[in-house]
Amino acid sequence: MENVDIVINSLVSGVLLGGVLALAALGLSIVLGVMGLVNLAHGELLIAGGYLMVFVMQPLGLSSLLALPLVAVLMAALAWPLQRYMLQPLADKPPESAMMTTFGLSIVLQNVYIMLFHADTRSIQFGNGVSSIQIGPVGFGRIYLIGFVLSIVVILAVHFLISRTAFGRDLRASASDPVAAAVNGVDVRRVHGWTFALGAACAGVGGVLIGSIFAFTPISGATYLLNAFAIVVLGGLGNIFGTLVGGLLLGVLQSLGGLMLGDGYRDLVGLVLLLLMLALRPQGLLGRKGG
Amino acid sequence: MKRAFQGLRKSRLVAASAGLVLGLAAATACHAANEIVIGASLPLSGPLAGFGKYQQWGYQTAVDDANKAGGVTIDGKQYTFRLIVRDDKTDPNVAASNTETLISRDKALVMLGSCTPALVNAGALVAERKKVPLVTGCDPLGAFRSVRKWHYVWDIFFDEAELSEAVFKMMDDLGVKTDKTLALLHDNGPDGKVVGGQIWPALAKKYGYKIVQKTEFPVDNMQFTTAVSELKSKNPQVVLVDAITPQAVSIRKQMAAVGFVPKVLDMEKGAEPEQFAKAAGKLSDGVLVGAYWDPSFKYPGASQLSKRFEKETGLSVSQHIADSHAAANVMIDAIIAAKSLDRAQINKAIAKTDKVYVVGPVKFDQTNTSKLPIAMSQWQDGKPVIVWPRDLATGTYIQPK
Amino acid sequence: MQTQIKPAAHADAAACRTIAYSVVLLAVVGFPIVVPGALSSYGFEVGFRLLLLMTLAEAWNLLAGYGGLVSLGTASFFGAGGYMLMGLMNFAGLPVLPALLASAVAGAALAALVSPAVFRLKGLYFTVGTLALAEAIRLFMINTSYFGGATGWFAVVDPPSVQVLYLWAWVLFVFATIVLSLYVSSRLSIALKAVRDDEAAADQVGVRVFRVKLLAFMTASALMAMAGGLQAVKLGAIEPYGMFGISWSVDVLSVVIIGGIGLRAGPLVGTVFIVALSEWLADYPDVHLAITGLILIVVIRCAPQGLTGLAISLWRRRNGRRTQTGRADAAGAQSALERG
Repeated sequence: MENVDIVINSLVSGVLLGGVLALAALGLSIVLGVMGLVNLAHGELLIAGGYLMVFVMQPLGLSSLLALPLVAVLMAALAWPLQRYMLQPLADKPPESAMMTTFGLSIVLQNVYIMLFHADTRSIQFGNGVSSIQIGPVGFGRIYLIGFVLSIVVILAVHFLISRTAFGRDLRASASDPVAAAVNGVDVRRVHGWTFALGAACAGVGGVLIGSIFAFTPISGATYLLNAFAIVVLGGLGNIFGTLVGGLLLGVLQSLGGLMLGDGYRDLVGLVLLLLMLALRPQGLLGRKGG
Repeated sequence: MKRAFQGLRKSRLVAASAGLVLGLAAATACHAANEIVIGASLPLSGPLAGFGKYQQWGYQTAVDDANKAGGVTIDGKQYTFRLIVRDDKTDPNVAASNTETLISRDKALVMLGSCTPALVNAGALVAERKKVPLVTGCDPLGAFRSVRKWHYVWDIFFDEAELSEAVFKMMDDLGVKTDKTLALLHDNGPDGKVVGGQIWPALAKKYGYKIVQKTEFPVDNMQFTTAVSELKSKNPQVVLVDAITPQAVSIRKQMAAVGFVPKVLDMEKGAEPEQFAKAAGKLSDGVLVGAYWDPSFKYPGASQLSKRFEKETGLSVSQHIADSHAAANVMIDAIIAAKSLDRAQINKAIAKTDKVYVVGPVKFDQTNTSKLPIAMSQWQDGKPVIVWPRDLATGTYIQPK
Repeated sequence: MQTQIKPAAHADAAACRTIAYSVVLLAVVGFPIVVPGALSSYGFEVGFRLLLLMTLAEAWNLLAGYGGLVSLGTASFFGAGGYMLMGLMNFAGLPVLPALLASAVAGAALAALVSPAVFRLKGLYFTVGTLALAEAIRLFMINTSYFGGATGWFAVVDPPSVQVLYLWAWVLFVFATIVLSLYVSSRLSIALKAVRDDEAAADQVGVRVFRVKLLAFMTASALMAMAGGLQAVKLGAIEPYGMFGISWSVDVLSVVIIGGIGLRAGPLVGTVFIVALSEWLADYPDVHLAITGLILIVVIRCAPQGLTGLAISLWRRRNGRRTQTGRADAAGAQSALERG
């Protein structure tokens, strides 16, 4: 059995990483919860954030913290027309149509990335490089902590947005009963557009953090997509806090899996978890049945 | 319901026949009659895209130069060489089907290989089956030999047993002082398993190093938190890694994230291309990687080739341009020597190769391999520097920070 | 097996037509085997790919088109078949035919094994679940050295010539066509469509929902596994990335949706179109894939019955059929995507 140091370090890293993964999954959760859309292009939206950072922000010399809100805004701006012209027209069709459309979109995006940015491995130097923090026996990268804190901040902000603002109220109304919401004067189409844009913005920021901790290529999106699904299902669709809890839980469970079986099994742990949750408790740990 | 079925079946029949005809029409590609087509399937996208790019340049340059020198005259007819490259996207399935396409549709007379055992094997098996000569680099000889007894496929590269030993020899020769604790991290691909799973452990024992950690992971894994935590805790001073570029970058970053810096860090395979240095930034300083060529080596045309590459592409030179350039030249020379378009004759000519190319002396043994000597290269300030052996060194060894 | 829904005479006539057209189609595709020199070596290779993809597409159409079970897990069964075949050929010295049959069994068995879990997932969750399943199996195979790990297995026996492979692919395609035709003209397909359209209602009427879905699932998976086995024979070397790679699931889905999901001709039209497209754009693989994705998006939006549906409506418009029957036929031919 590994010594205590390694276990503690693994668990701490798992929690911190879990926060970042939760942010990465947030966009998927919101979109799924409010619009009932399974966005299979979510992984590519994550990567888009990474590429925006490498090719737009960094050449402009923007400091990383400043660049994040800009990435969010750009992602929202790019995503809104996608929803309006590609997904909105499918509103009266069954949900598979929208899902398959996002699937087609993911194929298109992957190859557009290859054509525009080539297949090179990229990584983001966030802030002033990778330095580490040491607290007693526990050591982790500053970027992990920054990522964790940023993720919590964004998640709280989104939660605030959804629970306290007018837009949030409209969003919740559209999610639980679109027909009733429309009758009450909510422009459901507009809400959907903004929701998708919000989801993409979160994905972009999550992608920047992931790209700073790891490395990415045009086809890395698929791996993170399934992780995101696991988190969303763990926490319950559209449940913001649930996503956070799901992320932290996945992070810790993956660390345990890594400790016991080796790092190669981390993703497998996530997938098995996803399958189990889907089969046994699809509403998630924090969700309500049918919610 | 029945009328719909009628329409369906008719359209099905028409569509299928039309499609088949279309496919056949597309299949008969026309090419010039006095051209010798050399085919190559390369990873131009996907995780190994870093290698594919250099190989393409090496192959193309060799072919262009041969054409400038007048091509080849066979039976009184003048032929030029034409290189056709297809992207195998780092997918062995695609490498196999590309090879078939190149041979059957593009009418390739001979083939040049891809990179890394999985891709090279996929294409080489097709070529071997069809009795089409294929010369390749970028495939460690041990992995190459272990697949089967080759007749039509030839490999010019280093032997992973030698490469694996280089870092140990270097530490001895240069007197790099460590407490002889060692960690091994390797992927579970064909060469990762051989180098990390068998050769390195045996060598560690031979040179008196204590293995405190041994971690194996799949090729597309990106999270190394557990492995890296273990490194931090066990604190080995020598760390040997065998993984592809995206993983090598991740591992290096995550090591730095937990504040772990070994005295000696060797990252085989992944740290080779320039992408690694670019993506890892300052973290690449001090990372060792086995090298089989450097522009400073005293082989014909070595430094000129490097300068030409940098001028034409604006990128930093990589050793893979030499390996691929030589492989293509071996093939071209064999065609010229055989004075024939018969594949069996060309194959015999390849077997008789005995010449010094830009990558070094090439002569094949009875396992169809030609071994390249090993040196150790280290990234310093984003540039590769040869640090061992002393007589080939272009810089001094530094420690990673 | 008297069907109470269609009048007997029409059923006979329809069956007769099916057989006639099937025979003609299979002859067209099969003649290169009989007439030497009809096809170049390269033509046989394209043909092999075409036939294999058609088989996969027919199987997927059964699941997703007729059954409403949109699966992204094709690769699981494809890979299972490939590994079963290679394992038996290498370690038990079996010849190709019994090994292929064993692959079919492997595919069906895997389907039966995961069905209790996977059928609990409804609608979109089923899709995500099958995707997760395929990925999980892939990761498992990569990490397990019993199956050769990431290196995989090399065939002990050399693959046969491409003409022979084409013949086998043709036989497999014939087999798949027969299976699908039998299925479509039997009561099972009606039961399956009932389950697809409204599971609760079907259950009420006495349809054994689980059994019906399971049979379709096992049939489709067996066919996919055999295709995987044939691919393994052709490659001569298999490993998890290629055999369980997501591209198989992606290609099959694209082909059927573009061709026309739920329509008998959909998979064939789609496969021919996609293969022709890939040959045309063979020198530009990124562009080819990007275009495929775009076509997929456009087809879903503008032509939910795919190219086949488009062809039918164009044909219909040309013949000026705007009768009551015509509209009912169109409704009858609607795909799962329309009916939801």
